[in-house]
Amino acid sequence: MIINIYILSIIFSVAFLALVIELVRKNKLSEKYSLLWILFGLTILLLSVSPFFIERISSLINIKYAPSVLFIFGLLFLIVYSLQITIVVSQQSKKIIRLTQEITIIKEKLESSSGIQVDSEEKATDNSLGESEAG
Amino acid sequence: MDSKSKKILVIIPAYNEEKSISKVIKSLFDSGHKVDLVVVDDGSKDKTSIIAKESGAKVLKLPFNLGIGGAMQTGYLYAKKNNYDVAIQLDGDGQHDPLYLGDLITPLLDGRSDMIIGSRYVAKTEYQSNVSRRIGMIFFSTLVTLLTGNPIKDTTSGFRAVNRKIIDYFADNYPSDYPEVDVLIRLHKKKFKVMEVPVEMKERQGGTSSITPLKSIYYVIKVSIVLLINSIRTGALS
Repeated sequence: MIINIYILSIIFSVAFLALVIELVRKNKLSEKYSLLWILFGLTILLLSVSPFFIERISSLINIKYAPSVLFIFGLLFLIVYSLQITIVVSQQSKKIIRLTQEITIIKEKLESSSGIQVDSEEKATDNSLGESEAG
Repeated sequence: MDSKSKKILVIIPAYNEEKSISKVIKSLFDSGHKVDLVVVDDGSKDKTSIIAKESGAKVLKLPFNLGIGGAMQTGYLYAKKNNYDVAIQLDGDGQHDPLYLGDLITPLLDGRSDMIIGSRYVAKTEYQSNVSRRIGMIFFSTLVTLLTGNPIKDTTSGFRAVNRKIIDYFADNYPSDYPEVDVLIRLHKKKFKVMEVPVEMKERQGGTSSITPLKSIYYVIKVSIVLLINSIRTGALS
């Protein structure tokens, strides 16, 4: 049983690393944000190879039940990473707001100076946005 | 005092205000103040922007709802780009009476203050409000007084006029959530002067208030946290 779970976690971490690298390769995940995930994958891989590391760490910080080391670090990692994501989202929403404002002002200027009406096209986007917002 | 040489912009933020917007625009034009008007349609799903245009207003139509902060900032950005000397917020629901515009503009042009707030509570006015709202107002007023040393009574009033210095500041720094109370702390940190003048406010003429009774406690807590955080942001507000 012990051998099984270690093999399983090795397979999982290798697959996870491969997935992260593939996502970066396909430009679906930017390099900047991939680093932490690669680090995470490597750590799991290291821990999966042998129980030695976990037991060593748990005895170092006086944890009697070795697997709980995994839980605590896993949990901490997730908390830190969600904070990081919220920071990114905040920055992006700031930028989106500024873009929206600039575009709105430019659009008004365009319409009033040249008489170009962006309205008909605008209606379609309006509806789709309204729906996605409500949903 | 010479308001003729100054460029003054009235910004009306409006979200689904098709019932009241034409009345507000008409009462502004009828008030006889020499001001320009821009309506910021905050992604309304009704005919707000069409009606506003028909009523003779310039309309900045946001493609989706940004919230009052984002909408007002659009107005300030517009004011900055077009070199306005004074920008005034006038709500689209008809609570603010354009007759009082002069009272807001005069002390600003005299250089007595950088921002003038049209206040319901400085002098006795006809405005009636319910008890819970009243408690919230007193709470914010006390908090703002403690944090800034400026005894502002009507901290949530949206009826405000600002000078060019603040237009420039707001164009780049305007909180997207709960801006009314928040900016008072920010302006204090930036050493801007804020002053209140008494105005009468009317009942809403359509639409619903952005602050519903159910959300008011939540609102009070959130705003307080934002205020406290801002007050410890030692001058580094940018």
